[in-house]
Amino acid sequence: MAKVTFTLNDETVTVDEPLNMRFLDILRKELGLTGSKEGCGEGECGACSVFMDGWLVNSCLLPLASVEGRDIMTIEGYRETKRYKVLENAFVEEGAVQCGICTPGMVMAAENLLNRNPSPSEEEIRIALAGNLCRCTGYEMIFKAVKRASKEGEGLW
Amino acid sequence: MKTKKDISESIRKVDSEEKISGRAPYTSDISIDGMLYAKTVRSPIARGTIKNIKLPKMPEGYHTVDASDIPKRNVVKMIYEDWPVFAEKDVNFIGEPIMLVVGPDKETVMNLADAVEIDFEEKDPVFDFKNSGVQLHFDKGDVDAAFERAAKTVEYEYETGYQEQAYIEPQGFVGYPEDGGYTLVGSIQCPYYVKNAVLDTMGEEEDKVRVIQAPVGGAFGGKEEFPSVTACQLAVALKKIQKPIKFIYEREEDMETTTKRHPSKTKMEAALDVDNNIIGIRSNLALDGGAYIGLSGVVLSRGMLAVTNAYTVDNLDVSGDVYITNTVPNGAFRGFGAPQMIFAIEMFIHHIAKDVGEDPFAFRKRHMVKQGDKTSTSGTFRDPIILSDMVDKAVEISDYHNKAKAYEDKDTFKGIGMSWFLHGCGFTGSGESDIIKAQVKLKKDDKDNVHILVAAVDMGQGPKTTFRKLVADLLDVPIEQVTFNYPDTRYVPDSGPTVASRTMMVVGGLLARAAKSLKEEWIAGEEQTITKQYKQPEYIEWDQDTMRGDAYPAYSWGVNVVEVEVSKVTYEVTVKNAWNIYDLGKAIDERIVLGQADGGQAQGIAYGYLEVMNHEQGKLKQKNMTDYIIPTSVDVPKMENHIMDNPYPLGPYGAKGVGELTLVGGAPAVALAIEQAIGRKVKKIPATPESIMELIDNG
Amino acid sequence: MVKHVIPKTYEEALDHLSEGTFKVLAGGTDLMVKNRSWSETPARFKQDILYIHNLEELRYIEDRGDYLAIGALTDYETLLRHEAVPQVLKDCMLEIAGPGIRKVGTLAGNIGNASPAADGVLTLYLLDAKLVIEQKGSAREALIDDVIVGPGKTTLSNEEIIKEIRLPKTRFTKTRFLKVGGRKADAISKVAFAGAVTIEDGVVKDLRMALGAINVTVVRLRDVEKRHIGETISAVQDNIVSIKNAYVPHIKPIDDQRSNRVYRKRVAFNMIEDFITTMHTQD
Ligand SMILES: Cc1cc2nc3c(=O)[nH]c(=O)nc-3n(C[C@H](O)[C@H](O)[C@H](O)COP(=O)(O)OP(=O)(O)OC[C@H]3O[C@@H](n4cnc5c(N)ncnc54)[C@H](O)[C@@H]3O)c2cc1C
Ligand code: FES
Ligand code: FES
Repeated sequence: MAKVTFTLNDETVTVDEPLNMRFLDILRKELGLTGSKEGCGEGECGACSVFMDGWLVNSCLLPLASVEGRDIMTIEGYRETKRYKVLENAFVEEGAVQCGICTPGMVMAAENLLNRNPSPSEEEIRIALAGNLCRCTGYEMIFKAVKRASKEGEGLW
Repeated sequence: MKTKKDISESIRKVDSEEKISGRAPYTSDISIDGMLYAKTVRSPIARGTIKNIKLPKMPEGYHTVDASDIPKRNVVKMIYEDWPVFAEKDVNFIGEPIMLVVGPDKETVMNLADAVEIDFEEKDPVFDFKNSGVQLHFDKGDVDAAFERAAKTVEYEYETGYQEQAYIEPQGFVGYPEDGGYTLVGSIQCPYYVKNAVLDTMGEEEDKVRVIQAPVGGAFGGKEEFPSVTACQLAVALKKIQKPIKFIYEREEDMETTTKRHPSKTKMEAALDVDNNIIGIRSNLALDGGAYIGLSGVVLSRGMLAVTNAYTVDNLDVSGDVYITNTVPNGAFRGFGAPQMIFAIEMFIHHIAKDVGEDPFAFRKRHMVKQGDKTSTSGTFRDPIILSDMVDKAVEISDYHNKAKAYEDKDTFKGIGMSWFLHGCGFTGSGESDIIKAQVKLKKDDKDNVHILVAAVDMGQGPKTTFRKLVADLLDVPIEQVTFNYPDTRYVPDSGPTVASRTMMVVGGLLARAAKSLKEEWIAGEEQTITKQYKQPEYIEWDQDTMRGDAYPAYSWGVNVVEVEVSKVTYEVTVKNAWNIYDLGKAIDERIVLGQADGGQAQGIAYGYLEVMNHEQGKLKQKNMTDYIIPTSVDVPKMENHIMDNPYPLGPYGAKGVGELTLVGGAPAVALAIEQAIGRKVKKIPATPESIMELIDNG
Repeated sequence: MVKHVIPKTYEEALDHLSEGTFKVLAGGTDLMVKNRSWSETPARFKQDILYIHNLEELRYIEDRGDYLAIGALTDYETLLRHEAVPQVLKDCMLEIAGPGIRKVGTLAGNIGNASPAADGVLTLYLLDAKLVIEQKGSAREALIDDVIVGPGKTTLSNEEIIKEIRLPKTRFTKTRFLKVGGRKADAISKVAFAGAVTIEDGVVKDLRMALGAINVTVVRLRDVEKRHIGETISAVQDNIVSIKNAYVPHIKPIDDQRSNRVYRKRVAFNMIEDFITTMHTQD
């Protein structure tokens, strides 16, 4: 066990847990934040995506140790933002959600893209989402949702 | 008077926000104070007999649960009952569950599970198609006579591999003791399958078992019968331990030990007359059932029924076998046997045309089903068929003929392929009326809010939205006035499983009838309950023994066109475009249906060229998301989908089945495109770069 | 008991390493997968772990005149966005995993992991990358070829750490990174190729080819490459058969869950041939 301190959704948090715990488990089990999902536990599916210092990372492969001193945002924090609302609306309007297990991660990946490229091409959207697997939608409506968000969120990103 | 909107006009799905925001409580998100964790101890060998089990010293509060704890029957109630809850004496596949270790600390549970020592007497496992566990047969006309007078015969064999559902949320339940019985909350497609299986294993009274559906993170058939296995195990543990237990599969565990699409081999033999018309087909469909039969017989029958797909052939002899092998049991997967057979027949019809020197497109069109024709099982296609218009439309939007011509130039390494197909809606044969006997309820409370009470599960395909929309529309009330909660067997009647593309047509149809009755009998401010029970349309006749008659009340139809390019250097396939046309009667919500179309196609195409799974001596070689490849956002083609209305008189607003239809034609369409690109006949899927190389080398 | 330590400084990291029992964890994208355990239980490490992800001192990209210096902790996403990083390395990194993994994964980790299918390693071979390897009190510089010796095997001792990767500056007229995975993104290589040429006035001034996942380590045959330097384009291309023949003894792939040896071998040769025959044209 060791104490690790980081910022989580704008609050300072200290946990006392083994350094080799997966950060995903810290979030879900210790902190009760279950919006980040486990689809594979091996970095393939992106369902566990969170932001670390503003960048998308897979929390299932992140040992707690790597989080020391970092700024973390999970879907629970992100959903309080204006940008999230635009993405949420776009995902609903375009029918981009089916079973929904991939969706929080997918929205985070979309933010990761739009934050750096507010008007992406379809090709760029595809590349940006390639680390997030969705088995339900065939992705087509997700692409449309990201395009819609990019348009409707003018100026936010 | 307000003019009513067309029912197909899309609305916002009612459950999207809670899912996007991460608030929806999936099974693994549930946590209960004092909860224990269960881990499965499994057979490391493909076949053998358990000689001795040595348990580690169990600390206080830790338990093992095995066959000896089962109160009544060590078998999971399914259509065919041969799957044990826990292996007792014999083990028949690698990963077969032998016991659970249950306790409060996961690390301790894991270490205890690892420390269980089991001695086996190993036996020679069987992997070949040797032991047939199910044989089915039907015929139509006089196939022997057809072959006797044939001017020519053509014979081919087709092969398909495993396909893994690869839902992103693995299997799982959380269970707890309640009111002297057990409550199971889980990621499931069929609450009543689970409940009935648990009752049967436990020998409990009806009211002692309660099953609640949690939001389901993808299922595709994988959560149809399989959860009954884990539910029975969990119920045994709950009875023994009497504490809440969480029982979630890890990804590898899920991939290695849960049901998949059956690998298959299909023999096809056609008799042709002097004008190259197909006058007869003999076919045998062989499925690898894995260690236990479970649902395999029903999968086999749906596969066999698709033998002539959307073509009419007067004389048929169709047989099928489920072979028992020492591998993980196979089971339900979107399409349910049809993808295997439709791949075979679509390729076969092209291969016949090529062999007799005819243009495949013209050849197929000549054999296309028309209204009034006899089905493969000598039933009748009663309703209008618009397949020919659909094909015309597909040809037009994809520029099919011009591309097909241009790609005849072998140097392009490009190809375009077209499949067309049908899918029977609802249970096969008399299943709906004899076995399922669906019941639905609409309950109106004294505030005039209407509650939909059905056991249909929303696993992403949208009934939470479409049922409410349907009922609200028929009652002419705002959708907010209609609720539909996650099914809980304590409150909802058995409206049947969420399978077989029956949800909208059958359950939705019953709800529509209930809504109409409620509207007629509506008394404001009063509690009212309407119950409706499934009745088979009277004209439907089916003889299960001879497999003759109307196998389905209705059919949905589809056309898929897929365009590919194959790399000359690496033989990799790039799927460029896909154009799809569907007749599913009437869409209750267009966007939801189009979403099914996108997702089904992505799975169907990937089945044809991308998704590889095989085993070596019973051990699956691709057992995680790294090695079992499903399409990413850069793999899927640009898709264009269209729906053509063709309302079915007995469906709600004319709706038929959707979910499976969109998968079944993808594999042959992509395989045909690859076939053109490389100028070689594709007889086996997935058509991987490795197999494309072989085909180019050896023909 | 396995020890878990987060060093505060690089100095401190070297001190711990000198104990000889530690394994460094950088991005953890290999180590966390290999040692993963049941969910909600800690990763099962069998060795002491030094968590260096927070050593900002090792996160840099510096232009040092004749070479580009990359600090060992620099992640792929950062490299992808840096203008001085060679295009062929960018093309390669864009095909490694997805954005989330690329934000923590490192080239040093790719080297340390020493998988025969490692894409970064392949491209570093092509670029003649040198590694600065340090331990408490001493440092050495080595060509990547001399560090990787087999699957999962390097010449790094337990006390050593890769501090920096150095990419000599070279201009090529054409480069290629071509990878075959199970799908178009987020996939481990079945076989991979990196190539570079410099052609001036129709004469080949530099020619390099590296192949991955077809032997225990990356195959790059410098002597074969050298033989053709100074030849005209057509002279090289006319020699394609002999060039391919030179690779025959070195292309020894295996069968596994991802592909088979026949395919890997064939595609490897196709890749060589295709690069040679198109080396003078732009893709
Ligand atoms: C989903 C997924 C997809 C992937 N796709 C690809 C791919 O397409 N291509 C590919 O090549 N790889 C891929 N990988 C593997 C992995 O991401 C890379 O190998 C990555 O570069 C490893 O870097 P890391 O910092 O995360 O390594 P770590 O896991 O931290 O370490 C890996 C090894 O390197 C050692 N090491 C790390 N840093 C140093 C150092 N500074 N000095 C000495 N030793 C060190 C460690 O001790 C360990 O042995 C993938 C991984 C995942 C999870
Ligand atoms: S759970 Fe982390 S990537 Fe799948
Ligand atoms: S919506 Fe189900 S996995 Fe994406």
